Amino acid sequence: MTVENNEPIYNELNSKFKLFSPSRVMAIAMNTFTQLVRMKVFYFLLIFSVLIIGANVLFLNFTFEQELKILQDVSFGAMTLFASIFSIVGTALLIPKDIEDRTLYSILTKPVPRFEYLIGKLLGILFLVAVSLVLMSILFFAVLFFRQHGILAEEINQMRGQPTAEQISSLKENIFAQGLRLELINGVVAVFLKAAVAAAIALVVSTFASSTLFTIIVSLVIYFIGHAQSMALDYYFPEGDMHGAFQRFIAGIVAIIFPNLQIFNVVDGIVSGQSVPMSLMFRLTGLTGFYLFIYSFVSWVLFAKKEL
Amino acid sequence: MSKDLPTAVQIKNLTKTFPVPFKKEKVVAVDNLSLSVMPGEVYGLIGPNGSGKSTTMKVLLGLISATSGSSTVFGMSSTETASRGSVGFLPENPYFYKYLTGAETIAFYGKLCGLKRKVIKERTSELLNLVELEGARDRRLAGYSKGMLQRIGLAQALVGRPKLVVLDEPTAGVDPAGSRKIRDLIMQLKDQGITVILSSHLLEQVQEVCDRVGIIFEGKLVREGSLKTLIEIEDQTEIVLENAGSDLLKKITDLINQENGVNLIRSGRPRTTLETLFLKETGGESKDVRNES
Amino acid sequence: MIILVKSKLFSYGRVLVSLAILVVFGFLKIPFESQTEQKLKDKGFRDWVPNMSAREQLTQASFIGAIGGFRSLVASIYDLRAHEAFRDKDWGSVERFRKVTTSLQPRFAKHWDLAAWDMAWNAYAYYRSKSEFSDDDLELWRIEKMIMPSYLEKGLSFAKEGAKWTPESYRLPMVIGDIYAQKYNNPKLASEWYFKSSQAKDAPSYIYRAYATQLAKCVGMEEEAYKVVSNLYNGGKVRTLTLRRDMERLEAYFVNKLVQSNSINELKEMVKKENSNYIIYDAIATHYLGEENNISLAVNAYRELVKNPKAPDFYRRKFALLIARDPANEERAYGLLKNMYLSTPQIFRRVDLIELKKIESNLNIPLNEKLIKSDASR
Ligand SMILES: Nc1ncnc2c1ncn2[C@@H]1O[C@H](COP(=O)(O)OP(=O)(O)OP(=O)(O)O)[C@@H](O)[C@H]1O
Ligand SMILES: [Mg+2]
Repeated sequence: MTVENNEPIYNELNSKFKLFSPSRVMAIAMNTFTQLVRMKVFYFLLIFSVLIIGANVLFLNFTFEQELKILQDVSFGAMTLFASIFSIVGTALLIPKDIEDRTLYSILTKPVPRFEYLIGKLLGILFLVAVSLVLMSILFFAVLFFRQHGILAEEINQMRGQPTAEQISSLKENIFAQGLRLELINGVVAVFLKAAVAAAIALVVSTFASSTLFTIIVSLVIYFIGHAQSMALDYYFPEGDMHGAFQRFIAGIVAIIFPNLQIFNVVDGIVSGQSVPMSLMFRLTGLTGFYLFIYSFVSWVLFAKKEL
Repeated sequence: MSKDLPTAVQIKNLTKTFPVPFKKEKVVAVDNLSLSVMPGEVYGLIGPNGSGKSTTMKVLLGLISATSGSSTVFGMSSTETASRGSVGFLPENPYFYKYLTGAETIAFYGKLCGLKRKVIKERTSELLNLVELEGARDRRLAGYSKGMLQRIGLAQALVGRPKLVVLDEPTAGVDPAGSRKIRDLIMQLKDQGITVILSSHLLEQVQEVCDRVGIIFEGKLVREGSLKTLIEIEDQTEIVLENAGSDLLKKITDLINQENGVNLIRSGRPRTTLETLFLKETGGESKDVRNES
Repeated sequence: MIILVKSKLFSYGRVLVSLAILVVFGFLKIPFESQTEQKLKDKGFRDWVPNMSAREQLTQASFIGAIGGFRSLVASIYDLRAHEAFRDKDWGSVERFRKVTTSLQPRFAKHWDLAAWDMAWNAYAYYRSKSEFSDDDLELWRIEKMIMPSYLEKGLSFAKEGAKWTPESYRLPMVIGDIYAQKYNNPKLASEWYFKSSQAKDAPSYIYRAYATQLAKCVGMEEEAYKVVSNLYNGGKVRTLTLRRDMERLEAYFVNKLVQSNSINELKEMVKKENSNYIIYDAIATHYLGEENNISLAVNAYRELVKNPKAPDFYRRKFALLIARDPANEERAYGLLKNMYLSTPQIFRRVDLIELKKIESNLNIPLNEKLIKSDASR
């Protein structure tokens, strides 16, 4: 018989193995991104283009305020929709699929800590969402830019007589104030932040759910509760109104457990011409970072010892 | 065996049970199983369907945790991610990202193993050559046949230059020529001093390449040993004579008859196979079949 | 089966730990979240409250959409619906949809603007034209005394509510001014709102001019109006026709006042002291024309007047027309008027053109050389 030797070869193994390796995380993230790209998700850009061009046609006979507004509404609406769908469905589609297809076996039997896998997936999805939002923004801003100049020309054309320089400049100011402006970027960022939180929610759900459908449904429900919770609080408990202890308790639990996604909805205000102070954007970013951290951590707690 | 390398695989009193939903009793997949594999050895784990081979391997690789007992790889607990640094694993019926090409797949797993970009390039060509998938290098895995997937799985398992290779049914679903090649590859690994654990139904294959074999049934390791000792029928002794005349044979037979409790079962040419042994040890039925009836 | 089995396979302990983490951090995040929420409220990002009445106004899908971050889009959709209802002349629906757009996005001034416009102009005009075809007295009475005023009020209340929501914008005070000016014929209130509107940062300059115009119409506020109008007339870049007319009208008013409250000697005294005040010359001229009908003295006064560089250019027209009153000088005056008309036609009012036409026929100007070809229409 052979002699057993249980001296570990720690030196060799440990010197090679890093507890956290950004390059491994990046490999998983980029792989996720590639996967989604090769699933041809970017075809959605065609839909997006059709939508924003359609929005232009729809409001052709309206005032320029209405036309510029609907263009922004449709663009931001589509951005919110696509970003949220990519975040939730992408996460729900890929992680349970890895488990179902047992692709995960070959990944986790490499020296890859499970949280790296989770973070890699999340980053991959977020990267996809970011790239899609950038592409949509470019399209959106380009259309907006051309429309505002088009509208200016049309309005000048419609003026009776020879408009004075003052008239033109005030008209231009009026139109451009509702056209391409820096504030829109804050709107896009807020859309991204909300989608990032949605992705993190789906990540948590997908670590304990076992099917894609279940993950999507549960994530969507949470996503909706996240939107409705603060409004529900206002709705059920208008200021100064005393209510039953039980209702308060339930509302409190909901507010504690679920994220308040309503605070990311600044797009409506931005379209109507308000501006989000930078400090508020930092707050939202910080809050998103916090959610990403907590949800990644929770999903790791659930996933770390999951039987595969 | 060299003393300075720790035991490649050490499984001690491993038990793994799975709960059955809505029922009290549990499925015992692995039952108090112990085994150890020395560095450089090729170890074959054989057993019928549902006997716990894959479960054992999964515990060894940290995919699931043991209900009780322990398992180590080169002295490091399987629960530690670092222990995976020296292991390559080929799952049964491997399935990879089908939108990646062969080369991309290897590169992806290479990155997970922490290989440098330049190394990955070399290693990819080397491995694709080894598993003879050079021609399918830039084809997506969606278009790979089962045998090709098995081979890309093998290449993937080897990308990090592991010291231990765990192969779960490496030849399942592969045609004879293909499984021949896989066997040759295992021999090559053995020559390089790499430890291999494999599970299989194809017994001849195990017979051919394994230094030692463990037979697992209903989660228990029922027999273990070198091929030679296993194939021996313990309560029987075979005397193989050359050029023995009938006189001598008669003398021997008489001698045997005088002895109490000793029977001559047969004479003639000795022949047994692992297969008979296998069937004897497992009662000739697979667990899954029994469960159904 | 296997999938089901797997889903049962993680320990309940970990679920509890996860829940505990969520609860603990949930407590930590709540103050931060509600602070953020409050800041958003302060900045006007939370104006719409999904209460019972909001729920009743919106369809189910729209309500969910509005909650889910598509509030602006839903508002635009209702804008479209309002437009459709407007085309169908379904004023009840127009009003309902406009209420939705304005409550969903109250800081978007255009929503209020459109709402006020649909009520005070479109619906109002629709019923006015309907009343013109109505033979039924009772119906006519109902339309004129009840429906039309009610739409004006609705428009006005949309505009006033909107003005509260958009204090920085010039737009809704302007709309209110428009309603008072054009629908209620109330120059006093109109001028007040136009003034308010003109003070907004983004206000176009014409609003201040509208303010001046309305102010000039206010009886008893001529002093104030004259200050504003003359400032605009002398300092502004644009001299619109309205501004010229207002200026002329207001100056005429003060001239009349001077003439009525002063004797000619007093006026002469005044002119000695306030040489630069050209209005007194006009008063003197008016005096001579009125009581004594002494054109040459009036002309003399005007001669002095037009020497003053500050005197508005319409005095040159007045001067020339005065000269033309003396048949001996009519031809010379016509020459002056002709030059004036060709270089600055804007100083001629409708009445002046009628005068000019008379002069042309007195002098037998051939048709092709006439300045005024048809009836004095411009
Ligand atoms: N996740 C699981 N949940 C419940 N039971 C399981 C699970 N995985 C395996 N089992 C059960 O454990 C037993 C051992 O399964 P295992 O896959 O290890 O067998 P095996 O020897 O690899 O069989 P095969 O030759 O068919 O691959 C089987 O009865 C199986 O049904
Ligand atoms: Mg198996």
